[in-house]
Amino acid sequence: MRTLILFVALLLFGSTISTLSAQTTGLEPGNKAPEIKLPTLKGDTVALSTLKGKLVLIDFWGTWCSPCVQEQSELAKLYRKYKLAAFTNGKGFEIYGVSLDVKKSNWENFINTNKIDWIQVSDLKFWRSPVAKTYNIQGLPFNVLIDGNGIILAKNLHGIDLEKGIARFLHKE
Amino acid sequence: MKTKILIFLFFAVATSLFATKEVSAQGQSDPWTPQQLLAPADLAKVLNNPKSPQPLVFSIGMQAVIKGSVDIGPVMVPDNLNTLKQKLGKLQKNAQIVVYCGCCPFSRCPNVRPAMALLKDMRFTNYKLLNLPQNVKVDWIDKGYPMAE
Repeated sequence: MRTLILFVALLLFGSTISTLSAQTTGLEPGNKAPEIKLPTLKGDTVALSTLKGKLVLIDFWGTWCSPCVQEQSELAKLYRKYKLAAFTNGKGFEIYGVSLDVKKSNWENFINTNKIDWIQVSDLKFWRSPVAKTYNIQGLPFNVLIDGNGIILAKNLHGIDLEKGIARFLHKE
Repeated sequence: MKTKILIFLFFAVATSLFATKEVSAQGQSDPWTPQQLLAPADLAKVLNNPKSPQPLVFSIGMQAVIKGSVDIGPVMVPDNLNTLKQKLGKLQKNAQIVVYCGCCPFSRCPNVRPAMALLKDMRFTNYKLLNLPQNVKVDWIDKGYPMAE
């Protein structure tokens, strides 16, 4: 009897721990992505958490980073293709672009010239941006894919892996 | 058995060819010697010790992140390269100079080569490139080295 109680207690303890860890804010798949609140070009703040309910790609980039710049046209294609798609854990696809630029003019010109129409935020602090520390970014480009509950699904997917990573979560009829 | 040996030989030759090619490509494109790379820890030590002779540190990239460094701006932009040229023109040829960018690894950085080439062309004798293999965040900020205000 005592063994049984101990067994049940251990089971309960284990399940509580696993539930807790799923809600823990962190940087690994299964963790809740840390909140980001940064200004857009117009100066109003957009919080990552306001995108709840959608599949979101957090794209860390900068106009000074050539592979990031090259990737933007690919992101535009994905955005158009999946913007209104239904996913198993989110309705619609959004990109939350976080720029590590320094000069607002560089950032603004690039967005306007390339007609980037997804969310763009920046504190214009280059590598000193607190968000680079929060997300432990080691280099650019870097991205994080999160579900409708803000839970990290994958990190640093590029090229064909990025599209595959998004398509994997499409809702199947 | 013969096929196995052939396959092994093929890979061995291919690998060695590839390695040789990479070394020569780097050697040709980089206007600096391994001796001209300055370890971040060594610069941090000097900056933290006011009694030690201080080098002139130029940020030739996006932002002057390092304490005391002069913000030139990205020297891939000709105007900024000219600014650097003018500032260098006022210095002795044996002045102790350090340049850094830190946006990205050297292989992708558009700024370190023009700056180091300029220093070489102007015949400076005591200049270094700060060795930030990944970027200024990983190799300087995250290490807790001294930062600009």
